[in-house]
Amino acid sequence: MLNIKNYRFISIAVLTLIIIFIHLAYTYDLPKLFRFNKKEALEEWEEKIFKNKVLYSVEPKKEGGYLSAKSDKACSGLIYRIKFYPKENPLISWSWKVIKFPEKKPAQDRDKGGWIEKDDYAARVYAIFPSWYFMNIRSLEYIWDENLPEGTIITSPYFSNIKLIVTESGRSNIGQWVFEERDIYQDYKRAFGSAPSGYVGAIALMTDTDNTLSTAEATYKDIKMGYNYEVKEKEGLGAGPEESRLERMIKKIKGWVEKNGKNNQQ
Amino acid sequence: MEKITNNKRKRFFANKMHKEICLILFLAAIIPAFIIAICMYYLIFSVMAEQMLFPEAIAYNIIPAAKKVALMMLALAPFSIIIILSMAYKITHRIVGPYERIVRELDEHLENKRGGHIILRKNDKFLSLVERINKLLDRISA
Repeated sequence: MLNIKNYRFISIAVLTLIIIFIHLAYTYDLPKLFRFNKKEALEEWEEKIFKNKVLYSVEPKKEGGYLSAKSDKACSGLIYRIKFYPKENPLISWSWKVIKFPEKKPAQDRDKGGWIEKDDYAARVYAIFPSWYFMNIRSLEYIWDENLPEGTIITSPYFSNIKLIVTESGRSNIGQWVFEERDIYQDYKRAFGSAPSGYVGAIALMTDTDNTLSTAEATYKDIKMGYNYEVKEKEGLGAGPEESRLERMIKKIKGWVEKNGKNNQQ
Repeated sequence: MEKITNNKRKRFFANKMHKEICLILFLAAIIPAFIIAICMYYLIFSVMAEQMLFPEAIAYNIIPAAKKVALMMLALAPFSIIIILSMAYKITHRIVGPYERIVRELDEHLENKRGGHIILRKNDKFLSLVERINKLLDRISA
């Protein structure tokens, strides 16, 4: 016979299961890696169009696969919803290449009026920190700018809760793949002056030229998000993009052939 | 028995009951309206922000609109509070006023200070009750 105590136990167990189920439903597999080496690689990404459409397309067979972005007086971005805590998994990495910068005047007068007209970047990667109250949303934007020196942190002309970090600067690497790896936790602390209290709710990419009314072109690949230094060490990630699964398999086969060859010789 | 006397100095609230009913009516109108307004405000703008997600888009489109709506709400809130309060006062006055008069006149009847009917104003509540009380008074006096 079931008595009140049993009912209490069952209801607590059911509640616990529901909480675990909800938690699991919102848990993402980390780290998340996007190689853009498949045609359907953009299926998981949402496109948000703000002013005309930037042409985002996947080139799965060229240079190991990449995402191409071509903007003509347009502003639209790609966004991937995720959830990870930057204190536990602070790292994000990607490779990008700028082919053409938007045409804008030098940014020395960025603090004066009119800076909003220059808020276009050939390539930018967002780490978005959502909040239950929409006015508290915060964002870190890693940008490749033509003029601003590397490491500069500026506040967006749109919103003080958006901090732009110049991750790559100038034209010296134009047309070349550049690998970037950032510690979101440390960058957030540097940009906002305090540690992030929430989680990263989305990662986004954008190439825009709606303010400068010009054109820009950039490519992105190997976007990896939500990992930490331990994982990095374990996977043997150096100062470059992670090896593809195929490359790792080839290495393994080579090692196995070499080992067997030596054994046969003995 | 509490005796209600004819107080010549006019007070905003006739008595404690008037104050309590007025407060209940006022809160019953204000609290749900306030909760609904906050929820709608939060729901609408949060859903929009959740959809846009890009902070620039939120800052450019949603925040100015949300600020405008909040400002309008703040500007209109005193007027709505005044309207609700005056309505609550008017309604409760029509309940408490006649109640007070019935009790006072019945007291006077009991003390043989007056005879005749209890007379209420046309718009007052409890008219049907007073009709019956008057019939009862007629029967007692007959």
